[in-house]
Amino acid sequence: MANEQKPKLKLAVYWGAACGGCCVSVLDVHEKLFDVVAAADLVFWPLVLDIKYQDVKAMPDASIDVTLFNGAVRNSENEHMAKLLRQKSKLLVAYGSCAHLGGIPGLANLSTKEELLRRVYFESESTVNPDHVLPQPQVQMPEGELELPVLFNDVRTLDQVVDVDYYLPGCPPQSERLVEVFMAIATGAPLPPKGSVVGANEKGLCDECERKKSAEKLVKKFFRPYEIQDDGQTCFVEQGVICMGLATRGGCGARCIKGNAPCRGCYGPPSASPDPGAKMMSALATMIDATEPAEAAAIVGQIVDPAGTFYRCSVPASLLRRKME
Amino acid sequence: MEQLRIGVYVCWCGSNIAKMVDVEAVAKWAAQLPGVAVARDYKYMCSDPGQDMIVKDIRELKLNRVVVAACSPRIHEPTFRKALEKAGLNPYFFEMANIREQDSWVHEDRAQATHKAQALIASAVKRVAQHDALDKRTVDIHPATLVMGGGVAGLTAALEIADAGKQVFLVEKCAQLGGQVAGVDQTFPLMNSARQLIAPMIQRVLAHAHIRVFQNCKINEIFGYVGNFETTLNGEKLLFGNIVVATGLRPFDPGVIPEYGYGRIPDVITSIAFEQMLLQGNIVTRAGQAPRRVAIIHCVGSRNPKYHPYCSRTCCMTALKYANQIRSALPAAEVFQIYADMRAMGKGCEEFYARTSRRGVMFLMFDQHDGLPRIRPAGGEPANLSLEFKELLSGEEVEVPADLVVLMVGMEAHPDSKDVAHAVGVSRCGNDFFIEKHPKLDPVATTTDGVYIAGNCQSPKDIPDAVSQAKAAAARILATIKTASVNVEVTTAVVNEELCCGCQTCVKVCPYNAISFLPDKKVSFVNDILCKSCGTCGAACPTGAIRCRHFTDQQILSQIEGIMTFENEVVA
Amino acid sequence: MSFEPNIIAFLCNWCSYTGADLAGTSRMKYAANIRVIRVMCSGRVDPTFVLEALRKGADGVLICGCHPGDCHYHTGNYKCLRRFLLLQKYIEQMGIPKDRLRLEWVSASEGRRFAEVVNSMTETVKALGPSRIRQVVETLA
Repeated sequence: MANEQKPKLKLAVYWGAACGGCCVSVLDVHEKLFDVVAAADLVFWPLVLDIKYQDVKAMPDASIDVTLFNGAVRNSENEHMAKLLRQKSKLLVAYGSCAHLGGIPGLANLSTKEELLRRVYFESESTVNPDHVLPQPQVQMPEGELELPVLFNDVRTLDQVVDVDYYLPGCPPQSERLVEVFMAIATGAPLPPKGSVVGANEKGLCDECERKKSAEKLVKKFFRPYEIQDDGQTCFVEQGVICMGLATRGGCGARCIKGNAPCRGCYGPPSASPDPGAKMMSALATMIDATEPAEAAAIVGQIVDPAGTFYRCSVPASLLRRKME
Repeated sequence: MEQLRIGVYVCWCGSNIAKMVDVEAVAKWAAQLPGVAVARDYKYMCSDPGQDMIVKDIRELKLNRVVVAACSPRIHEPTFRKALEKAGLNPYFFEMANIREQDSWVHEDRAQATHKAQALIASAVKRVAQHDALDKRTVDIHPATLVMGGGVAGLTAALEIADAGKQVFLVEKCAQLGGQVAGVDQTFPLMNSARQLIAPMIQRVLAHAHIRVFQNCKINEIFGYVGNFETTLNGEKLLFGNIVVATGLRPFDPGVIPEYGYGRIPDVITSIAFEQMLLQGNIVTRAGQAPRRVAIIHCVGSRNPKYHPYCSRTCCMTALKYANQIRSALPAAEVFQIYADMRAMGKGCEEFYARTSRRGVMFLMFDQHDGLPRIRPAGGEPANLSLEFKELLSGEEVEVPADLVVLMVGMEAHPDSKDVAHAVGVSRCGNDFFIEKHPKLDPVATTTDGVYIAGNCQSPKDIPDAVSQAKAAAARILATIKTASVNVEVTTAVVNEELCCGCQTCVKVCPYNAISFLPDKKVSFVNDILCKSCGTCGAACPTGAIRCRHFTDQQILSQIEGIMTFENEVVA
Repeated sequence: MSFEPNIIAFLCNWCSYTGADLAGTSRMKYAANIRVIRVMCSGRVDPTFVLEALRKGADGVLICGCHPGDCHYHTGNYKCLRRFLLLQKYIEQMGIPKDRLRLEWVSASEGRRFAEVVNSMTETVKALGPSRIRQVVETLA
């Protein structure tokens, strides 16, 4: 068979600050996994294979054809591995929302490291820590010195620490999209320019969404999804529910919408949008049905958490990047 | 992309800019900015030699972008764009930095003003690199004209255009034509009959083959753009290419001034009511008696921050006119001219004032802000009414007896001026008068192409000036009808159909209904003939699919980059 | 040397930019800290521009438009107002003093008011001190 003559692609999958969902999405290609395995050698994948750090370190530079790096860069270990894998990979793909935009871990940029540690280790309701012990990067034990990665104050996207070739967005990416991208690389198809977002549409989610849309985009009140009797057919925004689909790339198959949940924006903004949330705020504010400042302010007041709503997966990638102290 | 070759020209504007901005140093500095091929300073960039310098540099130095740092673009952007065109460069490859109205004229520290000029030039240089060539667009001019208002200005404009053989639609909200002049007896300063002035005009308009008159009608909405307007009146669709707004002003209601007791005290009347008496030839009090003493109070509702801050222009002369008419009709009556200042501008008016003052009229001066005459009933002896105030010429408190008091009410905007302004797309100033294109150089055009204003609605004026403006507007309109086409802005919005996801957020955003949704393509579409380039849809679009030509995201962001890169470098 | 803020100002062509020009032709004097970007309508101002200005180190951003009801394009200023309210809420949540952002209505005839707005905004931003946003954004902590 033709494939046997062609050398297999060396494929690596690695996770930074991640939930594991992106790794599962790679497994979720189901029977297509055979096509993947036929075309690729998995050379490093901590979730699935017992290949060690030393083995990766020993690989020649640029010997891994494609590395899918998912998860954000949250600590010094994530950063170290990102740099190592950049060195060892021909193509480094920021896989999933966390690597692409910072993801859910990125919400930590709305706090400081001190605030987080204090909350987690001292103040949380079920913690008993009278001596206020905090994890330390270095601790001397009788058995020797223990090291932990340094927790960064700022969650980083992958491209804030290394040069990234492509972005494959989603929380997690749609498995079908992964297969398309992977097969394109594997068959040597011409690839888009470096730095492109792949596996996602150029158009916003509304193009894919099957709900009925109209020009009647006026909002007198914002609702949480549970507060409305969703008819399952009308555009969420027209029912007063904030759906990020307007400002988010499609390509996910609108699976949240199909589950009657509004889009959370995990695929990130389309190419003409320099900030993941700004144009959504602009569009939504435009729709507010009020001209008197007091009334407009009251309706704006119903959006209780703009950062969390419009930058749920993308705080580190936003123009402000993090909360100022 | 071709290599940028930007020409930067820093204008002295004589000493207007140069005295506060170090223009020579700024030009030298601009020469080293990335992309700048040449930077010069010159005394008057808008002059012929100044423009020729740009043309020469474009041709010889192969410039492909031009920045001029000078006065406001609202003054000379068209001038310099023409220079680019002359040199064969697309006129939109041009940007101005306003270092006069918004820099040298408003700052007092030379170092700060110079630094600001540099920041603004850095901004313009970065922006102009992002400009695209835009094609001019011409539209045909429908030869009919809509005239709104049937007063002396509206009638004049209508006749001027119709006499040239072009169709006019004249719309008047009242039942009668003639406006305020129809309610006037004689006109100052020559004491001619107003009737003989306005009645023939009305007759001619009603009989004119090219004028269709709509009385008792108001315009609701006007659609379209210069050369191609339409409205529906009495169920009929009317098409026209230009509009003259001559909706005038209305008299001020003095009932709100407590000192005068208008509406409470009998025989305190407005100038409007007095004019009616003159038309009927019968000056009488409520009781039917000829008044022995008449007091005329100037500046009612005018020149007073509590009512209106402006001068209503015609009341002083009208008041003197009344003095003359009373003097002629009632030789024995005493006439008291109670004024704040005597405004006698206009041809023959100062002479009229002088003549009136020699006819035994008593002139008494009051304080317009704090010393309004207090009118009270006085029981009959010596007169029915008494006016008390501090007379400023003598410095004494006086009591003036009067049987009849005439309040010279000022003029103010109609309550529906807001609707008129919205219908035609003109702005209003703080006094709700309509705003002209340029207060000195273009008083009849407005910033909306194809819409002209004439008469009182622009600001209070007398008949000669109203007629002048009406004729000026008519002449401008006839010129565009003759050329049959006019250039329109091309900085309209356009939807990138590759990016538009069909959310329809933009459709209802446009106040001109220029955006529609195409269901088969599932994208929005901007009708760039209706689009007025405001850019609101561009900011509303959640994906950036709408591109506002000449005010794109990239262009505006590049201005921010230009400014802040400069400011951050300077600090560093 | 005392702190001189950099304030980016978006002025709408028909009202506030004209009002600013009027301040100039009337030779009124005001603080030299603003850097004007002209737009046709305050409705063109995208929150992206404001965030970019802050990110690049602007100490304040001023937006001026026509008075409500007087917008040359009828309703653009209302949209600007609503966007401003939401944007201000967002930046406050991000730890940025909301007074670094300001929206004012200035008409074509309000040269004096424009000068007063500029001076007032400059004083407010001076009191807030230099913005640290650029420094924070550009340094990964």
